[in-house]
Amino acid sequence: MTTRLFFPSQWDRRTRTLAAISICLVFFAVIFIAAWLYGDQGQVTELDLRKLPPSWERPFGTDWLGRDMLARTLKGIRISLGVGLTAATCSACIALLLGLGAALLGRTVDRLVTWLADAALATPHLVLLILISFACGGGARGVIIAVAASHWPALTRIIRAEVLQLRSADYVKLARQLGKGPYWIARRHLLPHVAPQFLVGLLLLFPHAILHSAGLTFLGFGMPPHTPAIGVLLAESMRYLSMGLWWLAVAPGLILIVSVLAFDVLGNNVRALLDPKTLRE
Amino acid sequence: MQTFRFVTVMSFPRKRESREIFGFRVALCFPGMTSGSPIRMIICMGLCVLLLAAGCGRQQQQSHPLPASLTLAVGGENPEGYDPTLGWGSYGNPLFHSTLLRRDADLNIVPDLATTWQLAADRLTWTVTIRPDVVFADGSPLTARDVAYTFNTAAVAGGVLDLANLEKAEALDDITVQLRLKQPDITFIHYLITLGIVPERLHGPGYGRRPVGSGPYKLVRWDEGQQMVVEANPYYYGVQPAIKRLIFLFSGEDAALAAARAGKVDVLSVPSSLATREIPGMKLHVVKSVDNRGLMFPCLPDTGAKTPHGLAVGNDVTADVAIRRAVNLTINRQALVNGVLEGFGRPAYGPVDDLPWDNPAIRFKDNDTEKAGILLTEAGWLDVDGDGVREKDGIKAEFPIVYNATDSLRQGLALAVSDMLRPVGIRAVPRGENWDRIKNELVHSTVVVFGFGGHSPLEMYKLFHSPGPEPSYWNGGFYTNGVVDGYLDQARAAASFADSIPLWQKAQWDGQTGFAVAGDAPWAWLVNLNHTYFINQCLDVGRSQMEPHGHGWPITANINEWQWTCE
Repeated sequence: MTTRLFFPSQWDRRTRTLAAISICLVFFAVIFIAAWLYGDQGQVTELDLRKLPPSWERPFGTDWLGRDMLARTLKGIRISLGVGLTAATCSACIALLLGLGAALLGRTVDRLVTWLADAALATPHLVLLILISFACGGGARGVIIAVAASHWPALTRIIRAEVLQLRSADYVKLARQLGKGPYWIARRHLLPHVAPQFLVGLLLLFPHAILHSAGLTFLGFGMPPHTPAIGVLLAESMRYLSMGLWWLAVAPGLILIVSVLAFDVLGNNVRALLDPKTLRE
Repeated sequence: MQTFRFVTVMSFPRKRESREIFGFRVALCFPGMTSGSPIRMIICMGLCVLLLAAGCGRQQQQSHPLPASLTLAVGGENPEGYDPTLGWGSYGNPLFHSTLLRRDADLNIVPDLATTWQLAADRLTWTVTIRPDVVFADGSPLTARDVAYTFNTAAVAGGVLDLANLEKAEALDDITVQLRLKQPDITFIHYLITLGIVPERLHGPGYGRRPVGSGPYKLVRWDEGQQMVVEANPYYYGVQPAIKRLIFLFSGEDAALAAARAGKVDVLSVPSSLATREIPGMKLHVVKSVDNRGLMFPCLPDTGAKTPHGLAVGNDVTADVAIRRAVNLTINRQALVNGVLEGFGRPAYGPVDDLPWDNPAIRFKDNDTEKAGILLTEAGWLDVDGDGVREKDGIKAEFPIVYNATDSLRQGLALAVSDMLRPVGIRAVPRGENWDRIKNELVHSTVVVFGFGGHSPLEMYKLFHSPGPEPSYWNGGFYTNGVVDGYLDQARAAASFADSIPLWQKAQWDGQTGFAVAGDAPWAWLVNLNHTYFINQCLDVGRSQMEPHGHGWPITANINEWQWTCE
């Protein structure tokens, strides 16, 4: 595991996992607090300070209207994280409902949900995203709906398989024979198994959702062009890359990659903690 | 009023194959990618490489430009085609067609097809005689009947031209044509200057795809979305152009720039943001223009009134002339020129700066936050609750500035102006929107970043005369001033163009009132652009005339004077 590379070897697996999780959480807290502390500053144009390369005073430089790129990047990643988190949460909830429905509500519903999931997986992702966000009128709402409506199939399949497997497990059958009602079974036997799957699935959806929301805004289907969303920043930097203003692309790009990686590490470590197979390593 | 209309195409023109291959590649690879089979993907990629290689081979055979040809990447592709009766040439130069009159480099009106032109004493009848020796590019003669046909057709064609005032055009003999108007209107001369004459025999549906005219060049080939090849018209009656063959590329900005860097483009129009760089073998050519940008204010209060189409009208904040004047006084126009236009432009104080009908008395000192503050305070706009934004009667001094979301120049202006207004206690919130939505829905109730600038004072009339029963984006802010209307009407009814000029100037400011900032200030004009081009070091493009709104194509106005200087 990657965590072995970064932490002292005398720490046991569990400590290392917990440390990785806390570092990721601190990273996100720093982003949100810093973006909040910056207030309006990143959006103010300073026409005398245009296109400055990175310096001690302005570590990320300034853009074509003299706006501070550090502030814009922080605000941008906060917007992208916000959009990504909302979309991923919605998507995971859709996946939970559909997965449970497919497993519990009989064969017709199961067929329908499986067919929907296959259809959604077979459509090229970006095309689906663009179509939905365009149909919803763009903006942050359009991006959220598009990402939420296109990211549920994988998790739906996992939850459906998990529940189907549980339903045929001996102890569930036994509970049913003993006369326990479906709600009791759902609460006592299904929930404890499905909840961790759901949580990890949700965490692992975040990076996808963030990347795809950035991708949509990059293509111009999302936010208004002066919103400092990461995709917008990157799209804007394209115009100036050939003029040598490399910092406009590097800073937002790096932050985006680091955030996505951080969510990936977070998800994998939480899974390691929750999964009964790796729980006691 | 789009400034740059580049057609986004992935491939370079002249290399038609690459686009087909691109389409082919996408079509082939998608099934492979989605099914996730590695073998299929490899086959797919192999196919792509093969196809691309085949395409490249063919391209290399093709790409030997003829020595006499000149390649221009200046936009100017008209999706509706090149039919003057539908509006082609109204901003800039019709190229394939010739006009009765034209404007020279100093914007003086000089004859082109016409030999004499005269407005009768009733101010309703133009009599124009034309050269007897003119033939179209197909060899057929151009007579007064073609001229009459062109004007009559344009009047009913329903394109962007508004010739509704033309009652009838009539050919008196082969070389004399009479144009009768319904009402006296001196601005009609603009159509004598811009309307290209089409042959009656060949004109009809589809003419715009294969235009035949009497201009210096004729269309040879047009691959839509890619390129257009034109050659000198051997029958042209004027001075034969030195450059016999022109190739217009209609590629995206990036593709055009890359082609210019590779030495494949001789004239390239670039936005000012890219004009600061250097391109080997090319020199920068900067052309002054009346292509302006400004903020149009809704001048009526929001009473809940609607247009006949049900659109909202008015804004309570900008309805106050004190707000509009304060915005005008606060803005630092030189900073906008330096900051947003990279210095390629000049401050704009009115809609017609430096044109013959501009009134120099409307200039004022801007970047004056102190005076703006006093003005606002006197008008009752005070920041009582201390949040940095002034209020009056419970209304905050706050309005949106709407800009075309795809235009980074207008975005920059909106953002910079918004920040300039903050210190005086006016909150302007920039908002990027789809241009169609701005033009058709938001224009009566929000502050909009607009661009205008033409070679006719008619534009001024449309912008500042009280709107008619069917409002449009012209005077979308519903500015109304009876005195200004009077001057504008008198100017249009003047006996000659020279007589109309003082009246156009009085409409701006007559010492008492007008649409200048000292008067009603229905607009805050911001900047006049300079149009920037990179041209081949070996090319002499002569003296370009002050360009209208529309960057790119107007540079061809004097194309028959262009020459190669080194060989």
